[in-house]
Amino acid sequence: MRKPRWRPLSYQQRLRLLLLPYLSGILLLVALPALLAFGLAFFRYDGLSPPTWLGTLNFIFVTTDELFLLSVQNSLALVILPVPLRVFGAFLLAVLLRRNGRFLGWFRASVYLPSIVPTAAYALAWLWILNPLFGPVNLLLQAVGLATPGWFADSQWAKPGLVLLSLWQIGEGFLVCLAALQDIPAAVEEAALVDGANRTQRFFYLTLPLMAPILLLLAFRDAVVTLQESFTTIFLTTGGGPYYATFTLPMLIYEQGFGLLLFGAASAALWVLYALTGLIVLALYAIARQWQIGTTEETFVL
Amino acid sequence: MSFRFRLSWRLVIRLLVTAVFLLPLFWMLTAALHPQGRPLPTTLTVSLDFTLDNFGRVLELVPMGRYTLNSLVVVLLAVPLTLLTSSWAGFGMAQLPTASQRRWIVLSLAVLMVPSVALWSTRFFIYAWLGWYNTILALIAPAIMGTSPFFVLMFYRAFRRIPTAIYEAARLEGAGVLASWWQIGVPIARPTAVGVALLTFILYWSDFVSPLLYLRSQSRYTLPIALQLLQQLTPSQWALLMAGAVLATVIPVMLFLLLQPYFARLGN
Repeated sequence: MRKPRWRPLSYQQRLRLLLLPYLSGILLLVALPALLAFGLAFFRYDGLSPPTWLGTLNFIFVTTDELFLLSVQNSLALVILPVPLRVFGAFLLAVLLRRNGRFLGWFRASVYLPSIVPTAAYALAWLWILNPLFGPVNLLLQAVGLATPGWFADSQWAKPGLVLLSLWQIGEGFLVCLAALQDIPAAVEEAALVDGANRTQRFFYLTLPLMAPILLLLAFRDAVVTLQESFTTIFLTTGGGPYYATFTLPMLIYEQGFGLLLFGAASAALWVLYALTGLIVLALYAIARQWQIGTTEETFVL
Repeated sequence: MSFRFRLSWRLVIRLLVTAVFLLPLFWMLTAALHPQGRPLPTTLTVSLDFTLDNFGRVLELVPMGRYTLNSLVVVLLAVPLTLLTSSWAGFGMAQLPTASQRRWIVLSLAVLMVPSVALWSTRFFIYAWLGWYNTILALIAPAIMGTSPFFVLMFYRAFRRIPTAIYEAARLEGAGVLASWWQIGVPIARPTAVGVALLTFILYWSDFVSPLLYLRSQSRYTLPIALQLLQQLTPSQWALLMAGAVLATVIPVMLFLLLQPYFARLGN
């Protein structure tokens, strides 16, 4: 008898087959473009004529550009300022809306609601809300007798404006904290109650330390996401201005690439973005190691 | 009938905080209902003079209906595809030997760390080679890989809760991989699937960058680009801009309210 040419696949092989779309997607849409981007940094390429070799010229061009240095500073500022506020805000909200009570589901839904709003609509809404003359925030400030900043029209206030609007879209962190809070064993809590710990003590000596690894992981993810996702908001609110006060690395990469067709230079700037992301990741990883948290697989997957 | 209404401090604080979170949406809506010709107030006043005319005006200026339809098509293709690919990947991962599982987790985390900005221009070239540029494929392509490794990991976590003995039993009874995914995995991972579906919906619905970079024909634009067009047409007509923003927000909010009971149950 002839052996069949194809042996039926084993269960294990079929399992790996299920992972095939995932793997091929990663190769096609992440690995390949990332490698190409790394390579392009050494060429002059406008997307039309064939690329020409430039060596390290793009890197010299990019890193000596004043605008580039400014965009790195802006990017860092727009990560360092909002991320701690966002993560801690999400955590406090989760603590507040942790247990049963009247309308709990609706309260939680309301906190999540701003995160549902499409980024473009959200950006336009805040362009109105922070309008220097007619915007509700300034009318409110005026009504209580406070100074009314120019927000997106003022290079001093554009960054705080962006930070402010980012504080309402924290739904994901809120949900992660909520889920993590439920994982704290009831027995631990009861023991603290029996020992006579009051609400404040329970918060600082029990909840906060137990949640620290999750908060750190959230900060880590939020930093990476904020660094890149703020593009749409900035594009539609300030356009990088006024006077380049909110001009970030993604804005620079967009302008160099799709605006000026300098894809090589844009790729060189990307290297810096990678390095920045890597630094943030490393810094948080170092903290995690220091505290000996977040190193198990379980917490990494959340 | 008697109502007993006990106001506790906790409830008051919860109400205040929630109100703050609803403020941006409230302001967006009230501005969208502001009559066009009337001057904008320069003091904090509450006006009861509302109109729905702005929505009609927006629809005249920008073909929002067409763009809403385009957005719906994108979401209707991308969300089911994402659910399929991400749950398959999560299911496969959950049953692999521990060493392979760890490798896949590391790969997924590494992909999560790649800034999307880094892929903009070179994805553009890849789409151009594949003939996907200026087609809907360029908008839904990430669904091939489950949109985000984050979703794959969510499914992985859900499927790993099922004891391996159950998979083994199904295997001994002759169930194939797909059969055990559909009959054992999917029913257990349903809450995860709801969460992933909602998050995926929002991602594709509010995706501004892909249509900005990979579409050229106006007739294929999606809602976020419609808002940008509106902003370019009427940069300081706040009532119209907010009406457009409201139109782009209505569908996700309705979907979210439908799924709201899922949030109420979370962790109780």
